[in-house]
Amino acid sequence: MNKYLDLSLQEINNLLINKKITPKDLVIESFERIEANKDLNGFITLNKEAALKRAEDLKDQEVTSLTFGIPIAIKDNIITKNLRTTAGSKMLDNFIPIYDADVIERINEAGMIIIGKANMDEFAMGSSTQTSYYGPTKNPWDKTLVPGGSSGGSAAVVSSRITPIALGSDTGGSIRQPSSFCGIVGLKPTYGRVSRYGLIAFASSLDQIGPMTRNVYENALVLNTICGKSKNDLTSVETNEDFTRLIGKDIKNMKIAIPKFYVNDTIDIEIRQELDNIITLLKENNCVVDYVDIKYIDKAVPLYQIIAMGEASSNLARFDGIRYGYSYENPKDINDLYLKTRKNGFGNEVKRRIMIGSYLLSGKNATTYYNKALAIRDDMRNSFLDIFKNYDLIIGPTATTKAYPLGQDLDDAVKAFMDDILTIPVNMAGLPGMNLPIGFSKDHLPIGMQIIGAPFAEAKIYQLASYIEKELNLDLNPNLGGDDNE
Amino acid sequence: MEDRLTKEEVLHVANLARIEIDDKEIEMYQVKLKKLLDQIELVTKIDDNDSDYLIAPWNNNSEFRKDEVGNMLNPKEVLQNAPRKSGNYIEVPVVISNE
Repeated sequence: MNKYLDLSLQEINNLLINKKITPKDLVIESFERIEANKDLNGFITLNKEAALKRAEDLKDQEVTSLTFGIPIAIKDNIITKNLRTTAGSKMLDNFIPIYDADVIERINEAGMIIIGKANMDEFAMGSSTQTSYYGPTKNPWDKTLVPGGSSGGSAAVVSSRITPIALGSDTGGSIRQPSSFCGIVGLKPTYGRVSRYGLIAFASSLDQIGPMTRNVYENALVLNTICGKSKNDLTSVETNEDFTRLIGKDIKNMKIAIPKFYVNDTIDIEIRQELDNIITLLKENNCVVDYVDIKYIDKAVPLYQIIAMGEASSNLARFDGIRYGYSYENPKDINDLYLKTRKNGFGNEVKRRIMIGSYLLSGKNATTYYNKALAIRDDMRNSFLDIFKNYDLIIGPTATTKAYPLGQDLDDAVKAFMDDILTIPVNMAGLPGMNLPIGFSKDHLPIGMQIIGAPFAEAKIYQLASYIEKELNLDLNPNLGGDDNE
Repeated sequence: MEDRLTKEEVLHVANLARIEIDDKEIEMYQVKLKKLLDQIELVTKIDDNDSDYLIAPWNNNSEFRKDEVGNMLNPKEVLQNAPRKSGNYIEVPVVISNE
């Protein structure tokens, strides 16, 4: 078996430019690796025939960028023309989109090749990929453990080197938490940085699509490709910048804040120790590191439950069995069609969230809960923005735990939210946030840190992340690595 | 405080959500929905006098577009995923009946 997919994008690019390999070699290798990792269950739908054909079409084209000809996995809530898109739900088991999401148009233009649609929690509701209608994905570091979620398929596929790049989506931590569990770099961009056109909506004021990659530089390259304004998403913005521009630049005198809540003793001791090592490293480089308070950050979970479930109940009202998706076969009348389609089409986690969301938005509850949550959200965001008046970046752990066993707390109504307690505030405030692998536990599981920036400060996140990445020089290939190279 | 919702409360939220549930599920949701709602209740106890709402974190960049015809999907494509159709229409079950 070839090992081109273990090489960096620059190395692969050289081979392509010098005609030592063709895109087809990369596609074939991806599918060989899928076959060799069958038990991983990282994909819901494979795109083999079309991917091979596309590789053939690209063969004689000029190699235009570092991402040209590179295999990519797409989370299955991002719609792809003529390629089944299920969002991990029985509701969309037969759904074939008739147009491409904005990000798909952009990655196609950049010459990337879609290998398949990655597994995920149903409608991105969950943080372990166990609510998928298509069965759980396994963690490449230990196949008895969860990969995290909801972008668990994307994280597992990149971690196990099946594709160098995946796209995920993040509503409350769904890119960062699985990236932490699987030892990869995952970025949730600033709200508006990437168009949501063609992303199957979960909570529209929180959702963002972002890149999941093996290292920091490649992450910035993918963000270069997928960002920008689209006429179909008025919340998207154009800034025209190169996200790699600060990579490798000195971090001396950077001012770093750590929310006190992010070092509380409910967080796994090994994670806190790895973070302490990073703090020491930063101080040695003349960075200022201070502990700060952020308003209501400890209340982020219930706040998120109100806003995310409210928005979800509204967004998922469209699944009515009429225009597309699963439809109950013999309804008595239209109400019967709604009731039975949604009973059979949605899984338990999704039903719970829709029910609570509908309740929270009904009648007087909208004032008691939803408006109250919006007011607190405003205060929390302002508190974050105040911190960024004095500090360059905020850091902390990404997750409170390492990857945990499959099946654990599977149907616990509250557990999935608690997993995201450190990532949710970032979505609430619309900020960019990254997971960066910073070490391993005693049992050889990846540990990640979170780097949070001011709105549109992704380049600065990449600057700090690339510095730490270079200093640590971790071996993050689960087939080989798992040791601190200290 | 009760540790579960009443059967009627569960049926009420299921109806709001247009999801049919059976007796066994009602029992499950009595406990699980209550657990979630208890956690959510914490928010109502926060003493916050901010009167501004943050509905979404973007700066308001709404704009008018030119009123011109753009790319249109063709009806055949649009209907391709519809479970029931008749000609160029999507079929819908009875909405108002005589019964």
